[in-house]
Amino acid sequence: MVERGPLVLRPASAIPELCGSVELSRAWVLACERHPQLATVIAYKGRRADVAARLKDRYALSLPDGPRRATRGASALIGLGPRSWLFQRETGPALEPELSEVLGDAAAVTNQSDGYVVFRLTGPRVRDVLAKGISIDLHDRVFVPGCSVGTTCAHIGVILWRLEDANDVSVFELAVFRSLARSLWHFIEESAAEFGLAVTPAC
Amino acid sequence: MRIPCPYCGSRDLSEFVYHGDAAPKRPDPAAENASELFYTYVYLRENPAGPLRELWYHASGCRSWLIVTRDTRTHDIAGAVLAMESAS
Ligand SMILES: [Zn+2]
Repeated sequence: MVERGPLVLRPASAIPELCGSVELSRAWVLACERHPQLATVIAYKGRRADVAARLKDRYALSLPDGPRRATRGASALIGLGPRSWLFQRETGPALEPELSEVLGDAAAVTNQSDGYVVFRLTGPRVRDVLAKGISIDLHDRVFVPGCSVGTTCAHIGVILWRLEDANDVSVFELAVFRSLARSLWHFIEESAAEFGLAVTPAC
Repeated sequence: MRIPCPYCGSRDLSEFVYHGDAAPKRPDPAAENASELFYTYVYLRENPAGPLRELWYHASGCRSWLIVTRDTRTHDIAGAVLAMESAS
């Protein structure tokens, strides 16, 4: 009989061989894979106000009423649709059981941590890379930090949001269904090749 | 063609799935003449030249059903509302 140790869950990379095309010093686009905890929150009919109040109470987060991303500490809340949001947190205890308890009977909470893969993209040419696959206006003054959008990138469904700039350079994250992550990464690699792409965990 | 989604804003047609006339309502399957009512509901459609209220699904955006008022002659769009917030 085989002895089994306790089951320890840890983030598994969707693409273990994620690699760029040039060394860091020559790259105009930087990328990495993030491992946030994710859960969708879908308010039951007529319970939006309860969801808003409970999230405000517990996390001091304001429920976005449009395609925007609200953050407080390590937690973020992304508007996906009129009654649905994506809760994102990179640290802390297991997210989904905690959220289920906080929201109780007001919303459906579903763990999505392994459902989506999240890529972070930055660098001086990051918009040129995205423009080849996305038909949304990502201009610096239009799609400002805190904006989010559900759309397609190279015909692949994605949720895209913009973080605060880092060293005056725009930073974007894309969430994609895990089974499509390799296809999206293929697009990113091809699209970024002309600018030089580096993969760095600290991007 | 672009569709003004009330949640997402103006978006390309490719993000949407077309369903058709928003008017037909699913009949009562327990009604005496249910098969006749369902025949009408499933197959019979007006084909108006002019403004039509239609159901569109924003599949690649907010995943919501919309009611879009579109002129079938010109593709002019007079407005769009969330189906969940529309009375009919
Ligand atoms: Zn939409």
